[in-house]
Amino acid sequence: MEVEVTFLSRRGTAVMRRAQRASGERVRIGRGTDNEVRLSDIHVGLHAAALAVRDGVLFVDRLDNSPLEVNDVAVETAQLKIGDHIVLGPYRIEILQAPEGCDGAIQIELVQPAGAADETGPRIGLQRTGVSKRVYAWSGFLAIAVLFLAVPIFFLSTGMIKSWHQNTTTEALPKLVGLSWNAGTFSNAHRFFAADCATCHQGAFTQIADKVCLACHQTIGNHVMHNVKLGAVGNELASLNCVDCHTEHRGIEGSVIREGHLCLGCHQNLNERAPDTGVHDIGGWPNGHPQFRVTLVADAAKGTTTRATLGTTPPPMDHPGLKFSHAAHLVKGGFPVLHYKEMTCGDCHVPDQTGTSFLPITYKDRCEGCHELTFDKVALPWPNATVPHGSDTGIIAAVWNYYAGLALQGGAAASPNLPAAPAERRGAGMAAPAAPMPPPGDTQAWVTAKSLAALQVVFDDKRGCAYCHYSTSADGTWDTDKILAGALPPKANPIPVVTPPMLRTRFLPQAYFDHSSHRAVGCENCHASRTSQTSSEVLIPGIDTCTKCHGGENASLQAQSTCISCHYFHRSEFGLMRVSAETAQ
Amino acid sequence: MSVTDTAAPASTLRARLSRHVSFLAYDNFRFLKIAVAAVVVAIVLYIVVTPYGERYGGGWAGYTLGTVGALLIVWLTWFGYRKRAYDPERKYATPHDAAGAADAHPPEDPSRLARRLSAHVYLGLALLIIATLHTGFHFGWNIHTLAYALMCIVIFSGIYGVFAYVRYPRLMTENRENLTTAQMQAQITAIDAELRRRVLPLDDQMTRIIRDSIDNTPIGGSMWRQVSGRYPDCGTARAIAALHTRPDGDQENWRMFRAKLDEKDALVSRLRRDVRFKALMDVWLYLHVPLTFALLAALTAHIISVFYL
Repeated sequence: MEVEVTFLSRRGTAVMRRAQRASGERVRIGRGTDNEVRLSDIHVGLHAAALAVRDGVLFVDRLDNSPLEVNDVAVETAQLKIGDHIVLGPYRIEILQAPEGCDGAIQIELVQPAGAADETGPRIGLQRTGVSKRVYAWSGFLAIAVLFLAVPIFFLSTGMIKSWHQNTTTEALPKLVGLSWNAGTFSNAHRFFAADCATCHQGAFTQIADKVCLACHQTIGNHVMHNVKLGAVGNELASLNCVDCHTEHRGIEGSVIREGHLCLGCHQNLNERAPDTGVHDIGGWPNGHPQFRVTLVADAAKGTTTRATLGTTPPPMDHPGLKFSHAAHLVKGGFPVLHYKEMTCGDCHVPDQTGTSFLPITYKDRCEGCHELTFDKVALPWPNATVPHGSDTGIIAAVWNYYAGLALQGGAAASPNLPAAPAERRGAGMAAPAAPMPPPGDTQAWVTAKSLAALQVVFDDKRGCAYCHYSTSADGTWDTDKILAGALPPKANPIPVVTPPMLRTRFLPQAYFDHSSHRAVGCENCHASRTSQTSSEVLIPGIDTCTKCHGGENASLQAQSTCISCHYFHRSEFGLMRVSAETAQ
Repeated sequence: MSVTDTAAPASTLRARLSRHVSFLAYDNFRFLKIAVAAVVVAIVLYIVVTPYGERYGGGWAGYTLGTVGALLIVWLTWFGYRKRAYDPERKYATPHDAAGAADAHPPEDPSRLARRLSAHVYLGLALLIIATLHTGFHFGWNIHTLAYALMCIVIFSGIYGVFAYVRYPRLMTENRENLTTAQMQAQITAIDAELRRRVLPLDDQMTRIIRDSIDNTPIGGSMWRQVSGRYPDCGTARAIAALHTRPDGDQENWRMFRAKLDEKDALVSRLRRDVRFKALMDVWLYLHVPLTFALLAALTAHIISVFYL
């Protein structure tokens, strides 16, 4: 067979053709020199394909492993017609109309010259990796600007981020977006509405208004008494907003700023600037804090109190109107003769429900267990005769009534010479007074005599009431004869004879002290009760006792303490806190 | 990177060129000193001034640190813009050169680049500390910490950039041995042409091996390829492995191809190393630049959110 082979090459727009004839049993195409048509490229097999005429039809057969494509389809063998094309490596072979005397004609063009792949060049340099800094830069910029700026502002300004006061809650997405603006850890108390930003943040570029806080905290106490003249200090106080002392997003501990400087701004020279307040100047804690001032009873009879500074010489005296010795009660080993155990502080000072302070001390709860008011051991239908406590005007009647009742039960006849029993435990060395006994048969005289004998003990100047109490006389002493003169038989509305004591439950009313948090310390570390002989002695410890453990707000080896560790800013006794502009009024 | 230091009197070109110092040491570490001073002031401010409550970025000290930090970010970004505009071909004109001064485009002083780069590096490092103090060490899942985190990534990528600028140019010079990239590529192309020519009359098995080396020896490519310098799918490596054992016949061609492939392999490895060094010098910019833009957006959102609420 004979085939016309045309090699086609292009250079720019010029097309060159070089034709030759190949003949043989079959026309082999390949890289090898023994092929009828030689294609010098390593991508072409040594013997890639062969053209052959079978039954007058032109065929192409694949010879070795090189892929053979006819009309873009990989084949083993294929019948060829004019216009078909074969791809062999980088060559494209087209089937042409066979000229006269030839079995076929092909046109060969090198379409992918060697090294053509290198024309685009290797991708050297990061700028050729298709990764664009510019694209990433602007997409990052836009993504963050939209997600963290535009969207939060949109949600806030359209009310999609809601207030807790509204009935509906904020949807999940606005919640999430809103929280991306969260400036810090929420305080524990405010967390339940923390995602409802609009509860507090009610306007753009504005400080949180007082009314926002007071919407919930409407019962918070004022800081100053309404009728105290504050002058310029009042204006300063009025210019303060809630957020000047309370900040949110500052940690779970709470929103109260604990710095002493906030208080000292006014309080370091308040005495000079606003003397009407009566508040002493404070320079700080522990240094600069004045000695504590206690509120003491000035006169229990009149119910008056006084303020006194601790640690002075002579020491301040309390006048609670009660004869009481802590030392006499806190005796080591107790009172075995009376079968009373050793006493502890807690026997009388019982913590209240919060543990902060103590229940008021009453005779019934704290004294009666040991100190019974018995004046006679003879039993009526009720046991031993006792005088009523807390009702001294009823004592004479009670004693009289007791003996009258005893007489009606035959007591007068049964024991005509019965000596009056001592009402109280007798003081050491004291003898029972000899009571003249009336003649038998005169019941009223007997009752009077018995009552008088008992009342002489009750109203004795050492025993009876006087054991603990002062009388209503000017100097508080007990003139038994005067009290009993004409007292029997009992009269309606007699003059009171006992001055009711006045025991303070709080000695430092301007401060706050939590006994429960100090329980582990032990009472006697602060209160010198074991050596206290009289109730006039003030057992409230001075500042030195506190400063042993409590350092300044930045102390590292003492408890960090600041103004509000002991003092309240909001004092409910001063009325309600109002918006700042009204605070000083 | 070294630049010509003309902060000293640049009387002559030779004098300028002889004073060739690193931008890190520009003007006797002038910007290092400024940065250290700024950091010391910031730390003192942080320690001495205690706002009410704990330190949280507010209070006058906190706002000062924040403002300085924000201005530094904007200024350092501006440097990047200016550096892009820097044209190394443009000739430096002294102030006395009236023609230069009258030029529509102001002449670029190479020393200004050194000054800017030195300032950029040292003040960028100072920014890391100033901004950290501004955070008050409070972090959370919010835009504020996002801005801080972006800033940190930008700065740390910049620190890597300084490291790269100091390390890789020297390694590149050593690796190239006075060849340019184009020369190395041309040599490889020449070897390929010879391989192609020599294998043409040989059998298909040898042709496939050589063809694999010619067709499938990638240099460069994806960012990871360039940075890692690893090309597991390398035809030349495969070809060398295939020709590892001495064949029974045609020892001459085997020896020749082995030698050619080894020569090509050495060139390819060197070029790949060159590509890798260049990539390692440039890759940090793909974090540094885009994240700077993200940082600018986050910084804006941070500032607006703080004062909006």
